[in-house]
Amino acid sequence: MTLAGIAWRNLQARPSRSALTLIGIALSVAAVVALTALAWGFEASWQRAAEVRGTDAVVTRTASQNALPSPFDARVADTVRTLPQVYEVAGLLSELMSVDDAPPMFVFGWQADSFLWRHLKLISGRFPIENGHAEVALGRLAADMLGKHVGATVYIDAEPFALVGIFDSPALVETGAALMTLTQMQRITDHLNRVNLINVRLNDASDETTLTQFRAAVAQALPGYLAITSGDLVQQNVMVRLARAMSWAVTVLAVLIGGAGVFNTMLMSVFERTREIAILLAVGWRRDRVIRMILLESLVLGLAGGVIGVVLGSLAVEVLLWSDMIRGRIDAQITAGLVWYALGVALALGLVGGVYPAVRASGLKPASALHAE
Amino acid sequence: MMGQTPRIEAQGLTRSYDGGRIAALRGLDLSIAAGEFIAIVGPSGCGKSTLLAMLGALEAPQTGTLSFDGEPFPPPHRASAFRAEHIGFVFQSFHLLPTLSAAENVEVPMFESTRSSRQRRERARMLLHLVGLDHRSNDRPSMLSGGERQRVAIARALANQPTLLLADEPTGSLDSVNAARVMQLFEQLHAELGTTLVVVTHAAEVAGHAQRVVRMQDGRIITEVEHAA
Repeated sequence: MTLAGIAWRNLQARPSRSALTLIGIALSVAAVVALTALAWGFEASWQRAAEVRGTDAVVTRTASQNALPSPFDARVADTVRTLPQVYEVAGLLSELMSVDDAPPMFVFGWQADSFLWRHLKLISGRFPIENGHAEVALGRLAADMLGKHVGATVYIDAEPFALVGIFDSPALVETGAALMTLTQMQRITDHLNRVNLINVRLNDASDETTLTQFRAAVAQALPGYLAITSGDLVQQNVMVRLARAMSWAVTVLAVLIGGAGVFNTMLMSVFERTREIAILLAVGWRRDRVIRMILLESLVLGLAGGVIGVVLGSLAVEVLLWSDMIRGRIDAQITAGLVWYALGVALALGLVGGVYPAVRASGLKPASALHAE
Repeated sequence: MMGQTPRIEAQGLTRSYDGGRIAALRGLDLSIAAGEFIAIVGPSGCGKSTLLAMLGALEAPQTGTLSFDGEPFPPPHRASAFRAEHIGFVFQSFHLLPTLSAAENVEVPMFESTRSSRQRRERARMLLHLVGLDHRSNDRPSMLSGGERQRVAIARALANQPTLLLADEPTGSLDSVNAARVMQLFEQLHAELGTTLVVVTHAAEVAGHAQRVVRMQDGRIITEVEHAA
């Protein structure tokens, strides 16, 4: 018999209450898992998009922290192209737009013949070209959601576009997006000769010095503009920050709500077991051993609830990923890091809920066990 | 007993409750020799249980002194360790942990010893054998009779080889047959192990097993009667 064994028996002795507490913890942890998976997935989706495009750095306005930075003069790309560290440059314009009657969708306008297109794989048809016609290609998921095939008409902000191709991409945000040439995108968004990001490939991206020199060169040649890595761009993205903040808020709420559940359970348990705890103290148990026993009970509750919560949260993410609002926009994944994070949260709420009851139990007067005879 | 250091020496013990309205002990003096078996008797509310709680370091006197083998009783923060090392308790209502088996209940006090898990298990089996319950070691308290529960409680009290065994109405919840068996067991343990034994009781037949009977009233000792060995 070990201390953990005694704690486990105590939990088993009150199965209904333990089960209800487990459900409460599991729901709290599931909420953490689902929202954090979405928040982290949102961040990872954009990170992945930058990686697969082969972008080493992006040039944008200094103050822009939006997910889709405000458009600026496309001629900035010409200046960037002249910098000695630069191998290739591609301007792009992106926006969330209404496409048919689906929820808002990312629409990308990419400079024709730029390196941005190279990682895409055509499933059917062809890519849009600079021919003066309103043409669009849809990512696999976007075409699936809209139920469109090559040759169909797609309405973007109520303007008809001919669907000329369907493509696949290693980046989820692209498979759920519409893609056209930069010129067409500038036309329908009334941003003629403007872009909101310049993607850059450097001569030697593996050399940190090249990037440092490029940053300095941009700062000198283009006041008001900033060269950063795509990773930094994602980190600074206000939507990513918002998603992270919401994830944190839910985590804190989960710890408080789940902790309150554990607190209630453990305190009731301590009240009901006043005599048993007093007997343990009477037979010589030190107060810290009583504290450890109660904390073990609350931590076991937290951990078991956490495991159930991870499973429930994973199922919730799977369901959410099939909803039209999220499908093709966020690549939420249950990573090992997220599982450890969720279990950490579960243990934290077990600890938060167990500390006071444990301290209270250890402070019982053992003489009460005798006087209660 | 003269010349030997008493196991317990109590002098001038006082204890009151409810802001002094209820006086449980009023300057009580008591000396208990090592290996002695004494019974404390008296009417309800005379202070017997309060005295027993003090002898077991569960409660401290408001005034007066208590010593164990010539050393002062430990301060409250060291009382648990003192109890684990020196004291065994047997209660009227047995106070076994309902979620644990008989053997596991006996193991409980040994958590404060240096014994390994295996050693604890083996000692618990040995003690249950000593009280004649080795065949019930895996049964939970709810499956045991009152007499069996009290014998498990006695085995638990002996877990750490205490030098002082304190029993509060140990037969109070038992029928006469089981009460006689439990007292027979106390006598056997006292004779074989030489443990100092203090029993608080209402029952004259229980007190009759003791070497000395201390009668209390209103928080004081009013008579002490020694029985022939």
